[in-house]
Amino acid sequence: MPIYLYIDRGTFVHRLHPTVKVFALFVMFWSVYWVDQPIALLPVGLVMLWIAQLTDSWPNFYRLRWLFGILVFTTTIAWMVFYRRGAVLVNIPVFHVSRLSLVFGFGRGIKLAELLAASVLFLSTTKIEEFTYGLQRMRVPYRVSFAISLSFRLVPLFIDSAVTIVDAQRLRGYDFNQGGPLERVRRYVPVVIPVFMGALRKANNMAMALEARGFGFSHEPTTFIEYPVTRTDVVAFVFLIGLGTMNFMFYWTGVGRIGPLK
Amino acid sequence: MKTDAQIPVAVPAAHAASIEGVTFTYHGADRPALRAVSFAQAAGETIGVMGASGAGKSTLAKCLNRIVPEFEDGDFHGAICIAGEPLEHLRVCDVAPKVGMVFQDFESQLFSTNVAHEVAFAMEQVGMDRAEMDRRIMPALEAVGLHGFEHRDPMSLSGGEKQRLAIASVLALRPSVIVLDEPTTDLDPEGRAEVFELIAKLRAEGLSLIVIEHESEELRAADRIIVLREGEVAADGPPAEVFARTELLTACGVRPPGLGRALELLGIDAQPKDVDEALEAILKAYPRLAKTLIERSPDAPVKPPPVAASKSPAFIGIENVSFSYADGPRVLDSIDLKVEAGEFLAIVGQNGSGKTTLAKHIVGLLQPATGRVTIDGKDRSQMRPAETARAVAYVFQNPDHQIFAATVEDEVAFGPRNFGLAEDEIRRRCDEALEAVGLQNERQSDPFLLSKGERQRLAVASVLVLRPRMLILDEPTTGLDHREQLRMMALVRDLNRAGIAIVIITHTPWLVAEYARRVVLMRKGAKIFDGGVREFFMQDELLRSSSFRAPEITELSRRFGTLALNTDEFVAWVKGRA
Repeated sequence: MPIYLYIDRGTFVHRLHPTVKVFALFVMFWSVYWVDQPIALLPVGLVMLWIAQLTDSWPNFYRLRWLFGILVFTTTIAWMVFYRRGAVLVNIPVFHVSRLSLVFGFGRGIKLAELLAASVLFLSTTKIEEFTYGLQRMRVPYRVSFAISLSFRLVPLFIDSAVTIVDAQRLRGYDFNQGGPLERVRRYVPVVIPVFMGALRKANNMAMALEARGFGFSHEPTTFIEYPVTRTDVVAFVFLIGLGTMNFMFYWTGVGRIGPLK
Repeated sequence: MKTDAQIPVAVPAAHAASIEGVTFTYHGADRPALRAVSFAQAAGETIGVMGASGAGKSTLAKCLNRIVPEFEDGDFHGAICIAGEPLEHLRVCDVAPKVGMVFQDFESQLFSTNVAHEVAFAMEQVGMDRAEMDRRIMPALEAVGLHGFEHRDPMSLSGGEKQRLAIASVLALRPSVIVLDEPTTDLDPEGRAEVFELIAKLRAEGLSLIVIEHESEELRAADRIIVLREGEVAADGPPAEVFARTELLTACGVRPPGLGRALELLGIDAQPKDVDEALEAILKAYPRLAKTLIERSPDAPVKPPPVAASKSPAFIGIENVSFSYADGPRVLDSIDLKVEAGEFLAIVGQNGSGKTTLAKHIVGLLQPATGRVTIDGKDRSQMRPAETARAVAYVFQNPDHQIFAATVEDEVAFGPRNFGLAEDEIRRRCDEALEAVGLQNERQSDPFLLSKGERQRLAVASVLVLRPRMLILDEPTTGLDHREQLRMMALVRDLNRAGIAIVIITHTPWLVAEYARRVVLMRKGAKIFDGGVREFFMQDELLRSSSFRAPEITELSRRFGTLALNTDEFVAWVKGRA
């Protein structure tokens, strides 16, 4: 099963300048950050749905559907414990079930889901090289931006190796599901150690291979792929500025806010 | 032939590489990994470097691009020049345009999401302009036969293609020397063939290559062979000369070419380059054998010896098993297979043919989409994990995928403890398992400090301790030198003689010929051959289409109208006829 999220399509979103894509990710995070009201989160959500449709990213959302569901559900439930405002609708011990707490919790759940969706859209439409380039253009040092983007490439390899290690230990009779939550975490030691040792070896091999290919020769390597700035990039940039400003205004005017914790 | 490594070599600038008196001791090591190694490589020369694990081969390769001592900490003495230019004080990245290096682990040396970009990576690092990169990418891809793959994701390529891509990416920098450090260890026969064909092509084009490799047959075409032993040059000369010294090779942990060894045992003084030359030399020494040649072409069928039909009940029964991963193509397609108690079966086939998936169905890591698996007559899906583990054990290809304990003894005791055995019983079983694999003196050792061969044997011990009736070993000899391979397989054979059924998944023809009694060949999820080993090696068309070559000695014996599975068998046959 492929673990990478990048979906190779020729849409205008895929062709956007890497800096615009990194900026778009930032704007999505910014926009979601200022707003609590589920209704006020709708514009950003609609923009993301439109991009998902346009870029054919639905398979990635489908793969992560459980994660989205769990995020929204558990956040809504959890905030009913901490957000204790509004008239109680149903009496349940520990929980404060009110219209306000439901709206607030649901809003928080949607916020998290939108942050995840922004990341999924970014990874569905951006290659690792573009990510590095985009970060570089935003003044992040080459070594740092390369390391960040390379880590995305490494995660699937580690997941692969962790799956094999779980299989190997299970065949020796190891039961990962024994005991309470803490015990279960502790029982992953026979997986964590081989994964960690393997990661160290892989990182060492990779570092050697990188240097052997000239990594570090120049502080500012050249780029093979040309990323010309087009009119679409300018339009997208202006649109993103507008979106970011609008969401900040939602906060500023109070439209996007609910109330503080009580 | 030079065997004395202490004499420094006078090096003219025309040499592609020169190494003078290189000694290196890793930080904390009690002996040098390399000891006064000196040699010079002429421009356009291909040098094969051989030796046991720990002989210093990879250290030597790393010295050539300054990974040693820049990256690996230790004490370095000596001088290395590339194209007449000393490397002293240069960083690893500064050497990249002069020395291209291809590593064994192909996944750790690919960094891009696109083949063309992967080739460009090193050029970007050295600051080459875009127009020049553009000019170099296509010729590099054409040179390695990856033209048309420019837009593919490197991770979607086969192992052989990935290694060829790694070679293309170093070729693009046009270095003076290309070093290939065991580039085919993790590849299937098809991938190996692809890479060695490419190496032969690059050699013919006059590139200076240094190839580190375990298999002597693959290096016969090199201009020169250097054998390392405990960090010193034990032999240095043309392949014919070096490979004639079979005793020295064996002492150095190198497997001598089968053909040369056969001729030596027959008292024939010749170092054949291939089966034709060996045939000629034998006919010259034993003219009477010409009669047995019986105008037989290499592909002419030889009647296989009858295989006795077994009456034993199946220990493992696989009935019409099919399987696909989610949203993926079919990985197993209607497989029927029976394995009897005490059998020795080899499962072969290219990567992705379904070998490991089949094994995972036997041990219960995967459930069939259709069909069923039985163990000793019981439906495996109804068996508890402990019951399955006592019946069938699985040793993964990489022993590091299971090792985690602080001592060897704890690692072995992990399984029985999970199954709740009493401590006395666990101790008894650990002793027995460690003795069987020859690690009884390493009980308190840290498993991570053992050699690869020892870690592989530890992995066997850690499942043997559960006293299974069948052992499945996935590529048990990958990454081991010849000495360790023999030791591992001797262990496996002993276990089989003790009554444990063995299933090995392997790409190594001589291993199948020497040890297995039955072969299953898989292709694209289907079983396309199931029969005796001799019968298997007679299926020329099948072997060819699966990129699986019979050992050379088997090919040679077939030219004489017989079928020998190993050198001793062939020599005995020749002596009997002559």
